[in-house]
Amino acid sequence: MARTEKDEERLRAEIEAHIALQAEDNLRAGLSPEESRRQAILKFGAVEAVKEEYRDERGLPSVEALLHDMRYASRRLRRCPAFTVTVVLTLALGIGATTSIFTLVYAVLLKSLAVADPAELYRLGKEARCCYWGGYSQENEFSLVSYDLYKHFRDHTQGFRELAAFQASTSLLGVRRSGSAEAAQGYPGEFVSGNYFTMFGISAYAGRLLTAGDDQAGAPPAAVMSYRLWQQRYESDPSVVGGVFNIDDKPFTVVGITPPRFFGDTLRTNPPDFFLPINTQPLLGAAADIYQSDNSWLDLIGRILPGANPASIEAQMRAELKQWLRSRWGDMSANDRAEFPEQTLFLRPGGAGITSMREEYEHWLQILMMVTSFVLLIVCANVANLMLVRGMERRREISLRIALGAQALRLVRQALAESILLSLAGGVAGLVIAFAGTRLILHFAFPPTSGMAAIPIDASSSMPVLLFAFGVSLIAGVTFGIAPAWMTTRIDPIEALRGASRSTVRTGALPRKTLVVCQAALSLVLLAASGLLTAALRHLENQDFGFAQDRRTIVRIDPSLVAYRPDQLTTLYGRIQNSLSSVLGVSDVAICQYSPLSRNNWGAGVWVDGRPAPGPKDDVSTSWDRVTAGYFTAVGTPIIEGRGISDLDTATSQHVAVINQAFARKFFQKEDPIEKYFGQTGMGTSRQYEIVGVAQDARYLDFDLDHPIGPFFFVPEAQHDVLPTGKDSNPGSHFLHDILIVTRPGASVSSGQIRQAMASVDPNLPIISIQTLREQVAGTFRQQRLIAQLTSFFGILSLVLACVGLYGVTAYNVGRRTNEIGVRMALGATATQAAALIIRGAFALVAIGLVVGLPLALAAVQFLGSQLYGLNPYDPAEIFVAVLTLGFSALVASLIPALRASLISPSEALRTE
Amino acid sequence: MEEKKQKRDVLQGTLALMVLKTLDVLGAMHGYSIARRIEQISGDLLAVNQGTLYPVLLKLEQEGSITSGWGVSENNRKARFYRLTRQGRKQLQAEKHDWDQTAAIIDRFFAVRAEDLK
Repeated sequence: MARTEKDEERLRAEIEAHIALQAEDNLRAGLSPEESRRQAILKFGAVEAVKEEYRDERGLPSVEALLHDMRYASRRLRRCPAFTVTVVLTLALGIGATTSIFTLVYAVLLKSLAVADPAELYRLGKEARCCYWGGYSQENEFSLVSYDLYKHFRDHTQGFRELAAFQASTSLLGVRRSGSAEAAQGYPGEFVSGNYFTMFGISAYAGRLLTAGDDQAGAPPAAVMSYRLWQQRYESDPSVVGGVFNIDDKPFTVVGITPPRFFGDTLRTNPPDFFLPINTQPLLGAAADIYQSDNSWLDLIGRILPGANPASIEAQMRAELKQWLRSRWGDMSANDRAEFPEQTLFLRPGGAGITSMREEYEHWLQILMMVTSFVLLIVCANVANLMLVRGMERRREISLRIALGAQALRLVRQALAESILLSLAGGVAGLVIAFAGTRLILHFAFPPTSGMAAIPIDASSSMPVLLFAFGVSLIAGVTFGIAPAWMTTRIDPIEALRGASRSTVRTGALPRKTLVVCQAALSLVLLAASGLLTAALRHLENQDFGFAQDRRTIVRIDPSLVAYRPDQLTTLYGRIQNSLSSVLGVSDVAICQYSPLSRNNWGAGVWVDGRPAPGPKDDVSTSWDRVTAGYFTAVGTPIIEGRGISDLDTATSQHVAVINQAFARKFFQKEDPIEKYFGQTGMGTSRQYEIVGVAQDARYLDFDLDHPIGPFFFVPEAQHDVLPTGKDSNPGSHFLHDILIVTRPGASVSSGQIRQAMASVDPNLPIISIQTLREQVAGTFRQQRLIAQLTSFFGILSLVLACVGLYGVTAYNVGRRTNEIGVRMALGATATQAAALIIRGAFALVAIGLVVGLPLALAAVQFLGSQLYGLNPYDPAEIFVAVLTLGFSALVASLIPALRASLISPSEALRTE
Repeated sequence: MEEKKQKRDVLQGTLALMVLKTLDVLGAMHGYSIARRIEQISGDLLAVNQGTLYPVLLKLEQEGSITSGWGVSENNRKARFYRLTRQGRKQLQAEKHDWDQTAAIIDRFFAVRAEDLK
């Protein structure tokens, strides 16, 4: 800019000198002083034009000329506020929708962890795996490790500055500040190796973070609290640091607070509020995973040394894995040994942490991104249409300017400046919409649990999001501005002389029609997609779940949080059942490890008695659940054959299991499964359970909704899986989580009543949540519902925009053809014929839109693929509905102009001639 | 539109050549005397729009054909003086050569009579 001013100054001085010299010459030639100067100025010519040309010559006129154009454009836009506001709001919708989805895309798919130099981090595993893996062989890749294997890698691998291990899942911890009277509260916590924070290169917000010294057997139990919890629950109380907290009833010292933006190693819905050293795990709960080298439950992330080659570290770790496995040969099962040659591992960039969320939501986000881009395109088409109309109104002005010598390039630039200014304004307004939209989406997709951390995604704009919005606005501005700008250059200056009302050219009609066709086509795609997604959701929600949803409430507890021992549990459950059953309106109470669709399950293998041992490639996997007597009646799942779990099944009676139909089909085919035996801990345990009943298939798992219900078995709470060695092989399974309360028809039980009844059993037992089974089921489809609703919303929005476009073009047509219609009517055409003429014109456009849109829609719905849960993407009914909706809306949009056409009076029309 | 722009470009090209030649013959000069000189020789080319000279001067300076600096005119006025550079002299020679060639070709075309082509 400084240079520009200097140049301007130079030109000004030169012009002055020139005119003065000329004036002096003129004076000498005998003219009067005033006349001399006047003549000199006349002779110099148009000063402004010279300045303009001079600026152009300066090579880089763009910045200033652009500012000039922008100022001019903003002045012009201010003069027509209605137009400006309409366009800005329409654009804000399109840009806001795209930006809000991009905010999610950025947070879930692109963003690195808030740690030092994320590019130096590498993680074990190509894909995130949850959360436990038993045995010495893993499918495809070794991605979870046991504590023992972690130590082996840590101590032998060169090339890592730090290699840290951490729990692949989080554990709910019962936390109570020591000395306070309040009941323990459940917060998610994660076990991490002592060098976890050193590896990430982050330092404490307050106090200190964990060190290798904290992570040793016998070290004083230390914990690190999340900034979130410290701030929200303890109001940043400095005495929390160094304070003692009872975690699952064991005293831990909180040594420090994590930095505010750190949410751990994995983007997840409920990030951990406590980080505990791995070696404190034996203090808490019964399952001491760290002693079992065949129990893989840890993820690994390492920071490599500068210059180290990840590929050679990977090769080194592969060799170490084989070496370690060989050292465990004696513990390995026949299957593990058979799988040994295939065992391998992969090292992948770990700057984004464990990306389970990316894997889970990538496809959804792609769909939404596509949907919003379509909306943005439709918005652009709509705005382009408005701009063209405006261009038509300004024809006279522009032709006059051209006649007066305005440069074509300059006019195009001004037209573009106007559209870019509009799109930038739309972008700013869009950011507001994007912020609100992202918050709304996050709220519905991941509803916050009170007291717990929300998903650590920030709806407010970060730099990449701002850049994205800016880029999108610019592109949109050029997209919708290019056609109208081009139109300006095609205006003939002669038109200025003719008078705009008598214009003979129909310029503008074709581009506008094309835009309407595009809009119709794009709307069809969105309508078809939303129709299919909605149908798929209905399909999911209305399936036969195999259990009853009405009058059932789930109370979630976790007795392990307050240090119950497994042998105390049966008594506890009995007391809970008694206490809740006495609440007025409650007809039945059962307790289970996991209720249907509660987002968790335990898996097991099945060894059927009297059969040859299954080979390594045989699939013997099932899921299982531990339940109290009367569970099947309570949950409303019919018993097809035999009996359910009953009071007869005690600790000392024959151990029994109830299987579902899928289990019977998978393991017994045509045989009658009743009174057959099977076990879940190898061939030696094949007489572990006697099958006493077959229950109808019921949907428990939420992650394979597009598959038939898989095999499941149920065992009584009262019976422990005692191995021949006398050891309980599944003590953790006795910590039941879900209390199922059935209310009498017409009765209602408040959560206050439930809490009171629970408090009378044990006031310290935390209640994690209370919700109806119907809500729990609905929660399973929350994301699907959200996607279907968003797509429908965008589909309707695009339909409305397309109809507005169609209405505009049709109304314009009626105006232009008033004379023609008047003549036709004078010659005997009826009002209906006049209306039909207009509607035919509108439908021709929609028909072309359909022809273009149908193949596009068919291609697009294929992309929905698995998200349709088995629904045929070419479902003719849904496509037909979309076509019908579009057709009907088009009819409505063209009806008003058609009506106006039919009301044209011939005499009046001809009088305006 | 197109026609108008072409005309301007031709005018600018011709003007540039005149400026170069003027400076070649007369040495350093300020804008006004360049304008007067061209007016004297070319007649009406600059009679109305003397101002158009300045964008051309700037363009030539940016191309490196001429340089400029502030000085004092014959009647003691501050004015900007322009002078030909070595590169400008070379350019002038090149353009003169081109011009001669073009002119010769055009001349030959105008000299042709219908019977010559038979």
